[in-house]
Amino acid sequence: MLRGPQHERRTNNKFKLPTFVLRPRSKDSDRFLAVCQAMNHWKRILSVYFFAVSLLIVSRGNIFAAEAPSPQRVVSLAPSVTETVFALGFGSRLVGVTTYCDYPAEARRLPKIGGFMNPSLEVIVAKKPDLVIGVNTATDPAKAREMERLGLKVALISVTSLNDILTGIKSIARLMGSPQRGEKLVGAIEADIQYIKKRVAGAPRRPVLLAVGIRPLVVVGGSNFIDQLITLAGGENIAGNSAQPWLNLPEEYVVAKAPQVIIEAGMGSERQQSGNRWGDLKSVPAVANGRVYSYQSDKILRPGPRVGEALAELARLIHPECFTSPANSKPNGESRCESS
Amino acid sequence: MKVLNRRKMIQVNGVLFLLLILSALGSSLLGPVPLDLVRALENMFSPDANAEILFRTRLPRVLLGIAIGGGMAACGTVLQALLRNPLACPQMLGVSGGASLGGILGLIFFPYWLLPIAGGLFGEISWVPLTAFVGALLSMVLIYRFSLFHGRLHPYHLLLSGVIFNSFIAAVIMFLNSIVDFYQAQGLLFWLMGSLSTRAYLTVGFIWAYIVFGFLWLWTKGLSLNLITLGEEAAMQLGVETAALQRQIFVASSLMIGAMVSVSGMIGFVGLMIPHVMRLIVGSDHRLLLPASFLAGGIFLCWADTLARILLAPAELPVGIITAFFGGPFFLFLLYREGKKLAV
Amino acid sequence: MNPAIRIDDLSFAYKDKPVFDGISLSVDKGEMVGLIGPNGSGKTTLLKIFSAILTGSGEVRLNGRNIQTYGRRELSRLFAMVPQDNQILFPYTVAEIVLMGRASYHSPLALEGERDLKIARASMELTDSLSFSERYLHELSGGEKQRVIIARALAQEPEILLLDEPSAFLDLKHQVQIFELMRRLNRERGLTIVAALHDLNLAALFFPRLILLRAGKIYRDGSPKEVLTEKTIEEVYGISVRVEPDPSGEKPQLFICPSP
Repeated sequence: MLRGPQHERRTNNKFKLPTFVLRPRSKDSDRFLAVCQAMNHWKRILSVYFFAVSLLIVSRGNIFAAEAPSPQRVVSLAPSVTETVFALGFGSRLVGVTTYCDYPAEARRLPKIGGFMNPSLEVIVAKKPDLVIGVNTATDPAKAREMERLGLKVALISVTSLNDILTGIKSIARLMGSPQRGEKLVGAIEADIQYIKKRVAGAPRRPVLLAVGIRPLVVVGGSNFIDQLITLAGGENIAGNSAQPWLNLPEEYVVAKAPQVIIEAGMGSERQQSGNRWGDLKSVPAVANGRVYSYQSDKILRPGPRVGEALAELARLIHPECFTSPANSKPNGESRCESS
Repeated sequence: MKVLNRRKMIQVNGVLFLLLILSALGSSLLGPVPLDLVRALENMFSPDANAEILFRTRLPRVLLGIAIGGGMAACGTVLQALLRNPLACPQMLGVSGGASLGGILGLIFFPYWLLPIAGGLFGEISWVPLTAFVGALLSMVLIYRFSLFHGRLHPYHLLLSGVIFNSFIAAVIMFLNSIVDFYQAQGLLFWLMGSLSTRAYLTVGFIWAYIVFGFLWLWTKGLSLNLITLGEEAAMQLGVETAALQRQIFVASSLMIGAMVSVSGMIGFVGLMIPHVMRLIVGSDHRLLLPASFLAGGIFLCWADTLARILLAPAELPVGIITAFFGGPFFLFLLYREGKKLAV
Repeated sequence: MNPAIRIDDLSFAYKDKPVFDGISLSVDKGEMVGLIGPNGSGKTTLLKIFSAILTGSGEVRLNGRNIQTYGRRELSRLFAMVPQDNQILFPYTVAEIVLMGRASYHSPLALEGERDLKIARASMELTDSLSFSERYLHELSGGEKQRVIIARALAQEPEILLLDEPSAFLDLKHQVQIFELMRRLNRERGLTIVAALHDLNLAALFFPRLILLRAGKIYRDGSPKEVLTEKTIEEVYGISVRVEPDPSGEKPQLFICPSP
């Protein structure tokens, strides 16, 4: 309650407004006082407003730090990353991809920043990206550090195991500012994986050889996500007991382990010729039964969002009998593929 | 007076030949996978796993290893004489570089093309050895032209052209390696490091014929090789047509090296080390040194390949790593014991 | 009579450096000739032309036949050369080296026979090198190596022996020994000998004929008395010497008069 100028003054002081030494009351001073009172009102309102705004700024400021405005210019250092970014719906934000990034089709039209193993630092920096994403298996960590030193934000996604791939997709989604899209995509992939698992559940495990090179024979080894895919598809990688992700395999090993399915995932191989290549090793079941398949490599070899599709195709190659017709399925969706 | 005589020739070569046969047998029976020999022999012509392991995957490798080990060692011996340089080895000629490049190009552009030759018993032959051999021939002609002066192939020029040519080829190969995709690059690397992996008896037979014929021809030049190590002028005065001999030996060894690298990639160290080892054991007379090196090279590579298959099973190590890893220390040991025999 | 070696109007140049300009000379069978002259006068080059290692313009005839008509194997049975330096990088024993001299006497596909071994042994005896026949060449001293090379040349059973400064690395005893050997072979077997020499005194003592080369031409050709005069030495070598006869009175010996 206002009692007089002195009180007002004191009250004024609360709002840190300059105090005046009021002279004895006069008509001018009355008017002046009235103006001061009005001003105080406004000041009060203003200060409250300012207080509220600063509160807002402080709190929102933290949110900004935890989740930077979602990156608008992204450079991808690997085809699997490019596919992931597109699959999450952020393809339009890519400003640079590798020369091997060819899926989806739009990726081919994007500007290139170099190869898979040797991207060009200059070109990347020139693109002024907000975010650069690479993979642990191919991106040179020295280059990554160099990019960070130049002020770029670099993230390396691990793609060593299937789990890593799925986690990586979620990480990319988070980095792009929409973790929920990542969850959704991973959920879809996991659903695909579960579906395949169920469909091949009843089938016996088949020894499988997955080769990426024929001369010399380079195959998928143990610590490789493709090995996990093979296992999920109901197969058993004959070279799975090795610690290396890729290995040069002597042919006698192939004969000894008697794979029932051979998949050649090299580039440009022709379906027709593959049978001939193993033709003289007739004791190998895959050769005797004509189950040597050529497979276009990208889907199977890229640790990206298409792993679910890759798994499905692998399962169809390894256990075709589990996918023949719905009549084969039990009511709960499992298939009756006990025959080998 | 201790000189080379009939008895020494027969003794040394006889022992080495025996060791070679034993090595071939041993290598066929050893591997990362256990082999039931009886069943393999019983089922030689039917689709049995044991038979196929022995006859289709191991035996061709063993035979190829013997031929290539012997060929590399023989060429190394001959080149050390021709270039009058104890550090000479088959790689130095530049021909192996050309063959490597040809092979790489074949691997990149048509790795899966096969020659239209019947499969079955003889196995498949890919285009890669052919492109590699074309590369070898082209580089041979090139280096020949570079090094020919007044009808003579001067060792100095040969060495220099070979080294420079190899460096250039290495750069080109690195470049190609950097622009192919990741999986192709892996394959290229494995091919470059050398591998005796083969199932085609036709290839093995071809290489055998080639190398044995080449080696026998080189063996007839044994005396001239002795003389040429004394120096070009001394050799001329002792009756050697040095200009012609240099040309012939260059062509013969280039062809042999080209063929070997085309099929198995570059397997180093054998051509450098085996001649020196045998020189410490049997002396420098090439009439004995050549066959001894040939046989010893075959034995060495045979076992090196066996180790390459066994050491890190199921993976196969590049055989060139084994030759360097085990060959090096053995050579040093021999040097330590017999070092004074080597010229300062 | 066919001279052992005859050259007519020989010119030769290394790339653009001329060495000989139209020289002619002939050496008869059984002669013992010393080539002398300052460094760069072409002594070694002339020997190489004699042995068909180098070819110049003009004609070279051996035993009446043009040297170009000979094959190398034939040539190596005709003459043997002892070069000045020997760089042998590979471990050969002395016996192996000497036996290489027999290379053109047996088939390249055959090993050495009894006769070859006998001749090799005899050659080594002559040069006093049989005692180290089993040692490696690189273990020997310069002089011992030289004797082995001479033994190899002798094992070739040549008609003509060419030597390029054979006494270069030998000590006095062996220098004399080698020259006495050459004289003996010349007298007993009729071996034609042409040697490039730098020691004028030894040349005067052992060689009945000296050819003095200077600037690509033959300056003097004759007996030591005729060739080695104070004036000639001054003109060719540019140093002043005093020439006196040796104790036998037959051969001149040079006494060097260095500036005080």
